[in-house]
Amino acid sequence: MRPFFTLPLLLLALLSYAAPAIAEPVIVVNARSSVTQLSQDEVVNIFLGRYRRFPGGGAATPIDQPEGTPLRAEFYRKLVNKDLDQINAYWSRLIFSGKTSPPRSAENTAEVLRLLSANPGGIAYIERNLLDSRFRIVMELR
Amino acid sequence: MTGRFLLGLFLATSSLTWANDNAAKAVDSSVSFHGFGTLGLTRTDNDNAEFVRDLSQPTGAGKSWTAKIDSLLGIQANIDFSQNTEAVVQVVSRFHADGSRDPELTWAFLRHDFTPDFSLRAGRLGTEFYMLGDSRLVGYSNLALRPPPDFYGSLVFSYIDGLDVSTTLPVANGLLRGKLFAGLSPEETPFGPGTRWDQKGSLLVGGYLDFLSGAWQVRLSHAQVRFNHEAPIDAYLRQLGDPLGGTPYLWLVPEMAMLDRWARFSSLGLVYDQGPLNIQFMLNQIKQDSPAYADSKAGYIQAAYRFGSVTPYLGISRSLTSHEALPSSIPPDFVVDNVITPSLVAQSFLDQQTYTLGGRWDIHKNMALKAQVDWIRGTPTSVFLVKNPKPAWDGDMTVFSLALDFVF
Repeated sequence: MRPFFTLPLLLLALLSYAAPAIAEPVIVVNARSSVTQLSQDEVVNIFLGRYRRFPGGGAATPIDQPEGTPLRAEFYRKLVNKDLDQINAYWSRLIFSGKTSPPRSAENTAEVLRLLSANPGGIAYIERNLLDSRFRIVMELR
Repeated sequence: MTGRFLLGLFLATSSLTWANDNAAKAVDSSVSFHGFGTLGLTRTDNDNAEFVRDLSQPTGAGKSWTAKIDSLLGIQANIDFSQNTEAVVQVVSRFHADGSRDPELTWAFLRHDFTPDFSLRAGRLGTEFYMLGDSRLVGYSNLALRPPPDFYGSLVFSYIDGLDVSTTLPVANGLLRGKLFAGLSPEETPFGPGTRWDQKGSLLVGGYLDFLSGAWQVRLSHAQVRFNHEAPIDAYLRQLGDPLGGTPYLWLVPEMAMLDRWARFSSLGLVYDQGPLNIQFMLNQIKQDSPAYADSKAGYIQAAYRFGSVTPYLGISRSLTSHEALPSSIPPDFVVDNVITPSLVAQSFLDQQTYTLGGRWDIHKNMALKAQVDWIRGTPTSVFLVKNPKPAWDGDMTVFSLALDFVF
């Protein structure tokens, strides 16, 4: 009898384990920042290096999740409906024509949080369950 | 000379910094190296003229496969001195004006961002006459295999020694971005078979205004060049049997001079880039103060749609020159006015359109494979953008191309 119980349980466990892979990134700033809300266009401008200022005028420093993470792919898919190959091609144009640099890419999620909490002008996207008092949500991607 | 010196300086500093970088990677990430390249193969369906990517190439592709049209390699070092100050040095090896693949120093500048939206760059800078013009060697950053020659092909200036300033302002739901540049050309251009036109010291000035809003980008730009040397017409005529018997051509037709004359490039660019869909539409106009080159207009539209990792695209481009009255020789000479001058000016004629069909396949991170066919349909007089046209040239040519683009 046991396998009949364990198999659905195992499946359930797998499903719940898989759930974070389709996490919804929330866009956060350092809680010491005066920014409370950003439009999607403003977030696009900051992360794609078009205009790296917050609406109040302060300099914005975007931080990317590590390369190859599902959260990074999900963020750009939801933000501009592009996959990471397209984002790489976009940045290769700017890098090789000596223009803006891409956002700093963190080594891991912990570093994203560390960089963001250390930089009042920082802006990043994280999984909602990592939110704490050091950060403030300024936009949600649906 | 300056180029050689800067190249030497770059190689010396890069070998040092490379070593430093490896030793100090953990504590100092201020120097980073990047590269881009293309392995390309091109052939056409006829040997009556040679296909070139742009007029900086002295010879082109015929009926047998050649790698020289699109293959290139670029290496770049970015050196961060502070968060707001950066130096960029880039060296590219490609088939160019002197027929070699000797590395060229394409970028070597210092950039300072006075604010996040106001930057100054000084040194050797890529020219941006048209939208996307300063990244036309970076195949990986472009959807199509190469920038449409009808539009970009006549652009022989790749970089200047000078400076540029750029600024960005938020306006009405969008961004207004402007750039101004000025500098001197360090380059040379193929003129006729085996002859080159020295462009060193030619003054290039220009700028653009961009408006970006959501998926849209619109650009108006203008640039102009004041030539610092005469075109080597006499050397060219000597190769054709020296019809003037050694008399300098410009003594007879001074109006055909290029020295201190301006060429003016104006363009309008429109890009719609929404998720998987990318549409580009551009128009340009080139006006020459000298009658030695015909004025021209060109345009293209390109549409691409990404399905998974494959992006098919298609495009149409057109280029056309307008023909003005030709200057007369002083004193009037029948052969000069009816044969030599008309045939010199006719070298710059264009009347053609190109239909392009291709696909880009992102096979791996930072690597894309492309295949493209271009059907060029023109009149027999449309010779400016091909090399060595023979009497049998009828203006039609089909070009087959394959390329592997990569960045690292």
